[in-house]
Amino acid sequence: MIGSILALMKLSSYKAFRIFSNFYTSIFRGTPLLVQLSLIYFALPQLTGYRITAFEAGVLAFSLNSGAYVSEIIRAGIQAVDKGQFEAAAALGIPQHIMMRDIIFPQAIKNILPALVNEFVNLLKESAIISMIGEADLLRRATIIAAEKYIYFEPLLAVGLIYYILVILFSKFATLLEKRLNKSD
Amino acid sequence: MIKIQNLSKNFIHLNVLKKVTAEVVRGEVVAILGPSGSGKSTLLRCLNLLEKPTEGQIFINQNDITNSACNIALIRQKIGMVFQQFNLFPHMTVMENLIYAPCQVLKESRQSAIVKAKELLKKVGLLNKASAYPTQLSGGQKQRVAIARALAMEPEVILFDEPTSALDPEMVKEVLEVIKDLAQQKMTMVIVTHEMGFAREAADHIWFLDDGELLEVSTPKEFFKKPKTQRAQQFLEKVL
Repeated sequence: MIGSILALMKLSSYKAFRIFSNFYTSIFRGTPLLVQLSLIYFALPQLTGYRITAFEAGVLAFSLNSGAYVSEIIRAGIQAVDKGQFEAAAALGIPQHIMMRDIIFPQAIKNILPALVNEFVNLLKESAIISMIGEADLLRRATIIAAEKYIYFEPLLAVGLIYYILVILFSKFATLLEKRLNKSD
Repeated sequence: MIKIQNLSKNFIHLNVLKKVTAEVVRGEVVAILGPSGSGKSTLLRCLNLLEKPTEGQIFINQNDITNSACNIALIRQKIGMVFQQFNLFPHMTVMENLIYAPCQVLKESRQSAIVKAKELLKKVGLLNKASAYPTQLSGGQKQRVAIARALAMEPEVILFDEPTSALDPEMVKEVLEVIKDLAQQKMTMVIVTHEMGFAREAADHIWFLDDGELLEVSTPKEFFKKPKTQRAQQFLEKVL
């Protein structure tokens, strides 16, 4: 969501939108996710007084962060659509927003999908760092078990395996989607 | 129906069009000829504002389309365009390509759009390809679909930007035949082309453009027999 809005802003003819979205990307891509997460979880309550839960902080940090990356992926995908497509649509008198929705996006999505899958796989795995702010994610639970029973190999391997299975399932789904999109070739 | 007045177009350091003034009358076919880089395509693309003129005015049915208050999307509905690279929508079937704009822009019902599209496909000889995707078609077939797509909007004029330049030689004819048919039905057309034989046969007027200047407006007969300017003469010597 954040990604596609930012991408459209980057391609917008309004300078203010472009400046904002480029600034956003430079901040969220230019600083470590762990720092962003810590800022949101530890520093934000200091400012607002609202005691944010670890889960909320995690969702917020991951969304804001991956929004920056996804916006670049989508922007590149839209720009890779042949210029002739924009011209043909314009020449038919198709209004800009409908052109984007029906002509450009369906073609851009094909360019975008592989990179987007990459980004989501990354996100899925990076969710492990949320254990740093105390949320009981997979890795955290594994280390708890390890500490209790003095065994490290089994719980950590299990965590790795679970992540692996999740990623494989997701990739399979993405491949299917890609095949479906390519049916017009 | 189209009036061009003192039209100029500059790209940063380049004057592509220099004070072009001309007129297209309803029902006539104009062929724009000239060496490559002379500004032919730019002139054509100014007529539906795919290229923004730097100076001058273009009137389409008395509407000044260079005026910023003018609703260009509305005017473009009445101006069909056929591109060198076809530019069919690759994710839609031939039928969907034809009915998309009539349904979305003119708010036609899907049913009546399909009926009309079938007629047009028949006209260009591709009714059996209605459910094919553009990638399954040959270049000549693609271009004929592109012409049908332009016709589906019932335009008052169609602009052709080198419609046969990207085609294999054996497919040029089938596309030109379709355009000639349209000429016979008195469709107003402006065609940028390198097909001299076609221009001589199908056009009512030749515009000869060189280095951004409109040097000559004449009938094909005059132009091919005895061009008025030396530059046109040199051009013809090279291409004929």
